[in-house]
Amino acid sequence: MPEENPSEMIYLNNAATSWPKPPGVRAALGDSLARPVFGSGRTAGSQGDDFVTQAREALTRFFNAGPEENWICTHNATDSLNMLIHGFLAGGVEGGPCHVITTALDHNSVLRPLYEQEKQGRISLTVVPFENAIVSPPDAVLNAIRLDTRLMVMSHGSNVLGSVQDIQAIGEILHEHGVYFIVDGAQTAGHIPVDLGKLPVDAYVFTGHKGLFGVPGTGGDFTSATPDRVTPMRFGGTGTDSFSLFQPQEMPEKFEVGTPNYPGLAALAAGIAFVGSAGTNAIAAKAERQTAYIIQELAKESNMIIYNMTPPHLPIVAFNIAGMENDDVGGFILARAYGVISRIGLHCAPPWCIRHSTGGERLCTAQSLLVYHR
Amino acid sequence: MRILRSVRHKSCADGSRMKEFLLSEPVTEDFFLFLRDFGRVERLANVGAGFYKFEKTDFFSIKGLAGDTTVEVRFRREVMDITVDFLYALFHFYRDGKPDIDTLKRREAGVERRVKECLYGK
Repeated sequence: MPEENPSEMIYLNNAATSWPKPPGVRAALGDSLARPVFGSGRTAGSQGDDFVTQAREALTRFFNAGPEENWICTHNATDSLNMLIHGFLAGGVEGGPCHVITTALDHNSVLRPLYEQEKQGRISLTVVPFENAIVSPPDAVLNAIRLDTRLMVMSHGSNVLGSVQDIQAIGEILHEHGVYFIVDGAQTAGHIPVDLGKLPVDAYVFTGHKGLFGVPGTGGDFTSATPDRVTPMRFGGTGTDSFSLFQPQEMPEKFEVGTPNYPGLAALAAGIAFVGSAGTNAIAAKAERQTAYIIQELAKESNMIIYNMTPPHLPIVAFNIAGMENDDVGGFILARAYGVISRIGLHCAPPWCIRHSTGGERLCTAQSLLVYHR
Repeated sequence: MRILRSVRHKSCADGSRMKEFLLSEPVTEDFFLFLRDFGRVERLANVGAGFYKFEKTDFFSIKGLAGDTTVEVRFRREVMDITVDFLYALFHFYRDGKPDIDTLKRREAGVERRVKECLYGK
């Protein structure tokens, strides 16, 4: 366990960025800077650790999905989602504009690239609503599929409500109809078991700085057997095949260009090792128990509005105090008077928040726990 | 008491512009009560040393906890360049509890005319 927080701060904003980081992550980050970086193809000799390969190996083991080279390291989940969405629509669709599906529980990292595509006339977009304020049911996805539907992009877990989507059932429906399925796992990676060897997902996106305990500026994606359906959107140096003036088509060079974030990837590998040793099942069980307890206690207050009364699978509590602005509650009173750090506002998930803006409360405060919380 | 500098800013969902200002000394309950001469003040006395919200329609709102050395200010974006000087004046002319109300009222009237012209054309 990390050392005690000296400032008495209670950090409950782990759905945004996990903190504190395990000692192994901090050590890996420091160690990676203590020596010159070793970049395969960019550095002569073999005197150092290849942090990129180490991260790829860790991801392959952790998510039970290979081959290793199909794990692409990027800046974050948003970066990967942009790469996959624009890359799929640039090269993977025949016959002009097509139909794409997403959900009203999704994050701007999904919504904005899709709305930009729609604005440019490349797609028509269906945003599947949600029921009981939690889950977009598989039936709703089935009903949204059209003859020209080619792609669905959705968050695995909601960053506002902590609800987890049934991507097994949704993926099976989509694949029966030949629809490419991109899943944003920013909120689920490290928090709940994710076995990509079994899930019917074409591309899975993760970020390093949340449940995997890495640092901001790391993330990536895994494309299963069909990386050829995504066109690269970035071009540049890879350290390989440098005579060619065109981007290599082999994985991972097809999508990884420029100098990698070596220290960040060293930290990511260490973070994954930490989660692996703690056990994702144990992490999930503890988080669910703690979240249920907090919801149960908050619900005893008559002026408390809780948006995810059914304890979610992810450790997030979304609430407001009746008649108060969430900025006053979370941004000011909790943070400044009591040192409780949470997330306020739109949470980059405008469809959900707009639907639940009710007069004085406006938007919501969300607290998100971590395995460290006792 | 004076404003030293802004330490944080963001664009808000309601279209306003938020800035957090660092002050030369902790803000007091008395300061927030003095603001009642210029707008509406709400108080939650049982939160920390007291949570205060000041609202001056069309100008800005101020939120703060008594004893803190920062306050959050939300400006109406369209007239922010007109009203920001009045914010600085409120802190400056408070004069440690001996406020220069006459000067502030004159300035308030002048700024208010310009704000109304800008927002409502009158």
